[in-house]
Formats: sequence, C-alpha cells, structure tokens
Amino acid sequence: MTGAAIEMREVGHRYATDPVLIDISLSIEPGEVFGFLGHNGAGKTTAISILTTLIKPTSGVARVCGFDVVTQRRDVTRRIGYLPADVRLYDHLTAAENLEFFARLSGVDTPRHAVAETLEYLDCTELSGLRLGTFSTGMRQRIGIAQAILHRPEVLFLDEPTSGLDPAGVRQLRETVLQLNRELGMTIFMNTHLLSEVARVCSTIGVLNHGRLIYKDTIAATTSRFPDEASLEDIYTLVASES
Amino acid sequence: MIGVIARQQLLSLRRQQTFLAFLAVFLLMTALTGVIGWSSHRTIVQVYAAAVTVLAADGQPAPPDPFTSVPALSLLSNMTIYIPLIGALLALVLGHLAVADEQSTGIGRLVFSRPLSRTSYILGKLLGVGLALGAVMAAATIASLAALVVANGRVPSVPDVGRLVLFSVLSLGYLLLFALVGMLTTLLSRRRSVGLLAGVSVWLVVTFVLPQFTSGLRPTASLNPISDPVSSSLAFFQITARARPLSVSEIYKDVSAQILALGPGRPASTTLAAVVPVVAIVLALAALVAAAAHRHDYSRAGAA
Repeated sequence: MTGAAIEMREVGHRYATDPVLIDISLSIEPGEVFGFLGHNGAGKTTAISILTTLIKPTSGVARVCGFDVVTQRRDVTRRIGYLPADVRLYDHLTAAENLEFFARLSGVDTPRHAVAETLEYLDCTELSGLRLGTFSTGMRQRIGIAQAILHRPEVLFLDEPTSGLDPAGVRQLRETVLQLNRELGMTIFMNTHLLSEVARVCSTIGVLNHGRLIYKDTIAATTSRFPDEASLEDIYTLVASES
Repeated sequence: MIGVIARQQLLSLRRQQTFLAFLAVFLLMTALTGVIGWSSHRTIVQVYAAAVTVLAADGQPAPPDPFTSVPALSLLSNMTIYIPLIGALLALVLGHLAVADEQSTGIGRLVFSRPLSRTSYILGKLLGVGLALGAVMAAATIASLAALVVANGRVPSVPDVGRLVLFSVLSLGYLLLFALVGMLTTLLSRRRSVGLLAGVSVWLVVTFVLPQFTSGLRPTASLNPISDPVSSSLAFFQITARARPLSVSEIYKDVSAQILALGPGRPASTTLAAVVPVVAIVLALAALVAAAAHRHDYSRAGAA
C-alpha cells in the first residue's frame, strides 16, 4: 500500500439537522494502531460507519487504502475488516457456518479453508461446530474478530471491542490486536473508552469531542508533551477540557 | 453474491424453529386435505352403494355414480382454503425472517461492510425466499398427488396433473406476494415485532376484511372457492363489488377454482385477465422491497 491507509479530509456528517461530525481531517499510516477516543455520542461510531462505507459523509472526502469510500465502495470493502460494538451474528447457525458465509461475501476463494485457518490462528477451533446462540460475550467477540480477518484485510476497524468483556477477555483481545498488527501487518483503527488499553495497544491516538477532532498524535509524543500528567486518562481529561 | 445470500437464506430457514413449525402445520393441513377428500369420497360411495342396493330391491334403476360427474381434483378443494389461511401466513413469516436479522440485530452492519450491493442483497433474499416457497409448494403438490391416488385408487390423468401443477404455480405466486409483504413491513419498521405485526395485519385485511367488503352479501366468500354472482340491488354492495379486482384473496380462490375445474367453466382469457392485477401488485411490492432495502440505514441496529 502506498500513501495513507486511512485519510479523512474535512469530513462532516449530520443526522437530520444535527451535526455529528464536523470537518474531521486525519491521516493514518499503514501499520499504525490508531485509538479513537471520545465521550459517548462524540461521533466515533459515525466515523467508523463512514470509513466502512455503511453511511455516506454529508461533506468532505474519506479514503481507505487510497480508495474513496463513496465512489469506490467495492474497492474499499474488499480491503477492510469490521468488528462492530456488540457484535451480532446469526444465532441459529454454527460459528463455522457464520464464518463461511462472511468468507464467501468477502470473495475468499476457499472459504472452508479460510475459516479453519482463521479459527486456528485465533486459537478457537473448538467453537467451530457450536451455534452462536449458546455463546458468551467473549466467545462471540472471538468469532467476531474471526469474521473481520477471514479475508486478511489491510485495515481493521474495531468499534468498542472491549465492551462487555471480562478482564481476561480484555487481555486476550489486546494480545490479538497486537498479534494482528505485528504478524499480519494490519492497520488498526480502534474506537474505545478504555484508556488503559489505548496506552498499551495504540501507536497513535485521536480525541473526538462533540464531533470535532481536537487532538491527534503518537502515544510517545503525547506523553512527552504532557509530562506532568500521570496517565493517559489525565491527558484525555485535560485535552477535552481545553477544547 | 446473489447465490451466496440465497444459500445463507436457505440454511438459516432450515434452522429457524418458527418457520419449521409453520411449515409442519401447512404440510399437515395439505395431507389432511387428502384425508378429508378420501373420507368424503368413501362416505358418499358407501351411501351410493346402500342406495343402489335399496333401489335394486325395489326394482328401480340406480342413479349414476356421483363421482363420475365430479372432477377428480375436487377432492383437493380445501387446498384453496388452506393456502390463503396457513400458507400465506407461512410465507409472511418467511419474508419477515428473511430480512429481520440484518435489519434488527445489527448483522446488516457486517453484511454491508463487505463488497455486497443492496441490489445483490435483495435479489439474493428474493431468490432464497422463492426457492424456499417453491420447495414448500413442491412438497404440497406431491402430497396432493399422493392424496388423489389414495382417494381415487388410481393415478390422476395427465391433464389433471397439469392442472395441479398450474395451481401450484399460481399458489407460489400468491405466497410470494405475502412473503414480499413480510419483507416490506419488516424493512419499514424499526422494531422487529412491529414489522411482523404489521405484516399479519395486512394478511388479515387481505384474507378476511377485503373479501367481506367486496362480497358483503356472501359472508362465506372468504372461504368458498365459488365466484360471487352479481348479487345485490343495494347501491352500497354494487360499489363494493367493483373493488373486487383488487381483492387478491378472492381472485386467487376464483382462479384456483377455474384451474382445478371446481366451478362453472370460463374462457381462459377471462381467467388470465383476473390474474393481471395480482401480478401487478406482486411486481409493485418487489419494487417497494428493493427501494426499502436501498434506503434502510444498516449502520444502526433496530430493536426486537
């Protein structure tokens, strides 16, 4: 991939008359793990919905892997994986059946092989033949990640991936995210509330406040810029209050 | 992609207990049609045989066997009642289930973050629903043929099989109409349960209210596969009778009766003309379903 993995230029979105995103401009390089922070209703999920082509921006231009999310939707969706918050799949189908369906939708040539390989990669082969309806939140999340990476996307979007997970699940997810970035070279765009996880996982952060991007920098630069703050939580509070 | 969606649709339906329960009831009623036909046939034959014996003892000639003048397919006349009642409800539930998961649980967010167009999605869903209903009607047709063989004790003639197949095709179109209603009401509703209830309301209106309105003087019009004679001198009923071309349930029963040779014969062109408004309604519904799927915001999960 040449150029930015994700690029947003003055992207705006409004529901009816309410602006949800206002002139968001940011660029994320290939191989970065980007943490998108913000309060509830700040517009994080709307940003992901635009980047995953689910909704169109009402202004501005967004590109993923160099392709426009509106005019080159098919090219974008071939290159991305998406794990929404509170992931839901077909409860009456088994994990393998669900994954095979999404593999076919993603245009994978050998769906069964891709499913087996991905489940093995995520160390959850034992879930293969079980119906989703019987799964715990953590198990669902594992299968959710599997569906997102079946086709080995270049960019992976995770929307509040730790919501509802117990501490062991959070740790497992963190390790998976790092593994995907390190071993498969995926660029990762992660919406989250969990600042402790951001500090451990992300290389760059962006802070969204009432629809505006008020801060973006690397974790290293951020901690050196705010040497008096003890944690990322303190930095986030300071940045949000200053905006 | 259309095939991928249709394949997933069929696999899902095979696992959905609501659909399977409706299917079981429908096929049971279809089989029951044969049993009822066979039972009626047996009773009439027994009465006829007893009458012949009595008449012969009196030295009187026996009247002709009643079954020689009755069309063989009349044994299946109850099918024209069960299909609008149970079959249509089955199709409605099928249509609802076809789009409900993507619409209300948030699976749509995953599905449409893939290289899948809304057009391919809806065509795939329609193909899946059409194949499922086709399988249901094929099973019902086979059950009906078996019932005819049992009731008559002989294999139906080729023209009778042709009529039965034509009736199945007509029924498939009728069921497809309700599947489209189920899809449309679900796509237009934020809550899954409201979508299903709205669809059931449409079914109630089409199956019971509209026939009563358009054939008000004949309260059994919603059940009997007999076309209503132009019936009343009252102006109100003359007006309601004019709305009859839009009463798809009545049209279905009327055309079914023609196909199965249950009523007085009519020119084929008249029967075909009666089907035109129904075909137009099915096509309009399909277009509305496609438009609703294109407009739906799949980035937001609905509610149960």
